[in-house]
Amino acid sequence: MSQKPYDNWETIIGLEIHVELNTRSKLFSVAPNRFGDEPNTNITEVCTGQPGALPVLNKEAVRKAVQFGCAIQGEVAKFSKFDRKSYFYPDSPRNFQITQYDQPLVKGGSIVAEVGGEEKCFAVNRVHLEDDAGMLKHFSTFAGVDYNRAGCPLIEIVSEPCIHSPQEAVAYAVAVKAILRYIDASDCNMEEGSLRVDTNISVRLKGEKGFRNKIEIKNMNSFNFMEMALKSEIHRQIEEYLHHPHIPPEQVIQQATYRWDPEKKETVLMRRKETADDYRYFPEPDLVPIVLTDAYIEDIRRSLPELPLQRERRYGRDLGLSKHQSFALTIDQALGDYFEEALKTCMNARALANWLLVEFAGRFKESGESVLSSGIKPEQVATLVNLIEQGKVTGRIAKSVADDMVAHPGADPAVLVAQNPNYHPLNDQEEIERYVNQVLADNPRLVNDYHVAGAEHPYRRDKIFTFLVGQVMKLSKGKASPTVVNDRLKHRINQWET
Amino acid sequence: MYNLSAIEIREQFLRGERSALSIARYYLERIARFEAQIGAFLEVHDKQLLSRAEQLDQKRHTHQPLGKLAAIPIAIKDNILVKGEITTCGSKCLAHYRAPYQSTVVNLLLAEDAMIIGKTNMDEFAMGSSTEHSAFQKTYNPWNLTCTPGGSSGGSAAAVAARFCPVALGSDTGGSVRLPGAFCGVVGFKPTYGRISRYGLVAYASSLDQIGPLATCTADAALLMEVIGRHCDKDSTSLPEEPEEYLNHFKHSIEGMKIGVPWQFLEGLADEPRQRFEEAIEKMKQQGADLLEVDLSVLKYAIAVYYILATAEASTNLARFDGIRYGHRSPRAKTLDEVYDFSKEEGFGPEVKRRIMLGTFVLSAGYQDAYYRKAQKVRTLILESYKQAFNQCDLIASPVSPFAAFEIGSIQDPVQMYLEDIYTVSVNLAGLPAISLPNCLTKEGKPLGLQLMGAQKQDRLVLNAAHVLEKIFPFHKAVPPLVDQEATL
Repeated sequence: MSQKPYDNWETIIGLEIHVELNTRSKLFSVAPNRFGDEPNTNITEVCTGQPGALPVLNKEAVRKAVQFGCAIQGEVAKFSKFDRKSYFYPDSPRNFQITQYDQPLVKGGSIVAEVGGEEKCFAVNRVHLEDDAGMLKHFSTFAGVDYNRAGCPLIEIVSEPCIHSPQEAVAYAVAVKAILRYIDASDCNMEEGSLRVDTNISVRLKGEKGFRNKIEIKNMNSFNFMEMALKSEIHRQIEEYLHHPHIPPEQVIQQATYRWDPEKKETVLMRRKETADDYRYFPEPDLVPIVLTDAYIEDIRRSLPELPLQRERRYGRDLGLSKHQSFALTIDQALGDYFEEALKTCMNARALANWLLVEFAGRFKESGESVLSSGIKPEQVATLVNLIEQGKVTGRIAKSVADDMVAHPGADPAVLVAQNPNYHPLNDQEEIERYVNQVLADNPRLVNDYHVAGAEHPYRRDKIFTFLVGQVMKLSKGKASPTVVNDRLKHRINQWET
Repeated sequence: MYNLSAIEIREQFLRGERSALSIARYYLERIARFEAQIGAFLEVHDKQLLSRAEQLDQKRHTHQPLGKLAAIPIAIKDNILVKGEITTCGSKCLAHYRAPYQSTVVNLLLAEDAMIIGKTNMDEFAMGSSTEHSAFQKTYNPWNLTCTPGGSSGGSAAAVAARFCPVALGSDTGGSVRLPGAFCGVVGFKPTYGRISRYGLVAYASSLDQIGPLATCTADAALLMEVIGRHCDKDSTSLPEEPEEYLNHFKHSIEGMKIGVPWQFLEGLADEPRQRFEEAIEKMKQQGADLLEVDLSVLKYAIAVYYILATAEASTNLARFDGIRYGHRSPRAKTLDEVYDFSKEEGFGPEVKRRIMLGTFVLSAGYQDAYYRKAQKVRTLILESYKQAFNQCDLIASPVSPFAAFEIGSIQDPVQMYLEDIYTVSVNLAGLPAISLPNCLTKEGKPLGLQLMGAQKQDRLVLNAAHVLEKIFPFHKAVPPLVDQEATL
């Protein structure tokens, strides 16, 4: 792949993200909106399309969809309506879906995401409400339909074709998911299908105007798979065009739907789209239009919680966290909340961020767990950082304490330190001074250089000093109190005769 | 007793002059005696009726409060769900479909102590004007057994006309309560769209369907409206209004009332119906009403608009009858596509298939603009025309149909059949209240009806005017000769 002239090509991706809203009941019925129950238990006459049953719109679902619209700064329509989309399939109880066709609830909007450490802004075309289908279950001799999911509220978030790489697609989807979590609109559980992504992808030669035929890819139930699927599809499309340079592009790649096969690790053809589907959309006569007032929309806008982007910027501005730290702590809302909780009692935000994102993250990498589910309380991480700040433990001891915290979740680091003599920092001035003297004696040339550098070359001087501190710490096996070491070393080096 | 109104039956029951059981038995006997010739019912719930009657008697004996419909037997069109009972919609597709939930109207009827007597025959899925399109049986007009009772609520109209029950419920999408009402010589009322909950009414065309009462007199129709004309949370199109009171607010005169007549729209009317209509207009004048002409020329498009919009909605409403969850599933089917194809092929009759195909066509890409969208625009024009007309007058009068009841099998051309609805469909398109009031009998002894239409939400005004007129029209309280006798001699 690397030798090919792929640099001449650019990729155009559009994402359609279907999100199940976490309302108590379904979009058009009072049946519970819940995953994982016995098949066909969360159903009413509405969910199974019984004759005479009528839909009634769930206001909570509208509210959550409007929240999302406000969160992405989209234009929330004061007038929108539902339409019937006709197609026959056993999981569709009425054989039409109730969706929003030409007058969606939200028009426009944007998603800011981090791609390779850089912020990028992606345009959203529309967000609309619709109801979910049931699920087909195949058994050895028959197939059954579970209508528990039928009628669950979905929002479909349609991006503009403004995404230009698989990395961008993942970053966009991750940012969408973060917003949904922050406003508590969905649990976004991809394995349970609460968040499903369909992608439309095409490639074209750089500088080319207009789009070539696009391929739709479905069935990617993780962002990992999505990235793999897109990469493999880009590769496939470019190879097709390269192998057929004399065939018109619209014949090389024809519109079709593929699905990702996680076993084969490639996209597999589902069906060709020789003719456009005719869903015969028309306004749903059983529902009245959604009419929203300015006051309602404004109220939702004002009561939005802090969003990931706002939190990220606050961390940079107010806490001095690096761009990456801010992003990493906010994209996962639960981790951000954990950080905030720890911050309440912590003396150093940057050190805290580092401990969470590097030290503890590293300790959980293998197990696949995370500090969030470990039983380690946020204030305990804060305590550990404070112990370092107060000079009560050295950084080196702190790492051992952290190991203990992982091994004994819930243990208070202050107690761990108090109970373990090995963790007590060496405060004995005389002993430390002995180490200091030894280090000075062992490094006569450096001590000389230190004096030569003098006040004119503070940089060189500080470098030598830091190195010598390190040597003292080493002799003390990391236990010497850094404050005392600093103090004694400064004192002794200035008296030292070479 | 068969001459008693529903209101009178209730009063006699409350006074202890008749038990609910005797009332129930009386009507069951009439059904036993005459139903074979009429064919109004698809199912008579005799056991349920008798046990309910016993409960009501018990209730009265123990001095519990009794509802506004206490001991009144009522027949229900078979597209309205009665929980636990078969609901066929006149279709093979639902021949064995047992309603898993209660419709709102039946809930309201039962809460007021009505007694449900059975389910009545209808054109399949309410698609038809003669009840000939029922998959199960024909219903014969009690006035003339060679004629249809009209449709699609022909079973309900015939049941009331034959005095199998004093009142019945029908549904009216393009005239399906009013036309059979006129053909059978009973009152048929189609309320303002949204006045009565559609929850549990099997949808034909959602934006046009409306349940309506059939009765021997306007007071009984008004009584039913007081009970079932309520807002319902389960129907999003239900009017957000308080229930109306009718009976206590009826005025006893139509003096000074402005009644419009769209004369140019009535040009095609045959001699006798026209003459009878003019006589009715004369009577209204004598009562002090001001008659004036209104321009409703746009109504010439009403039939076309109706058959586009109604079939478009029907094509999706009936998509659910696929044999997957309930209803007829073809035993021949081996694949999913065959389940769809064969089940519908076997389950639906020709008229239903015709309308599904028409509706699918008018919604298809490439045709939607020319048909569905254009029809929606004309629907708006019709609504506007009515609004303007009602700026000039309080009510509009017209015939219910161009002819009296026609002979069974006499109309084979579907389009000719559609034209039967020429005076009724526009009311549904505009969502207006309208009543079909028996006016007189033709020379052949068939009833002819008069239609009164009101502006939206003017249900009371419509019923009130009809209430005044019914007493002075020549038809007054006529009973078909065939059934104008006691069942037991």
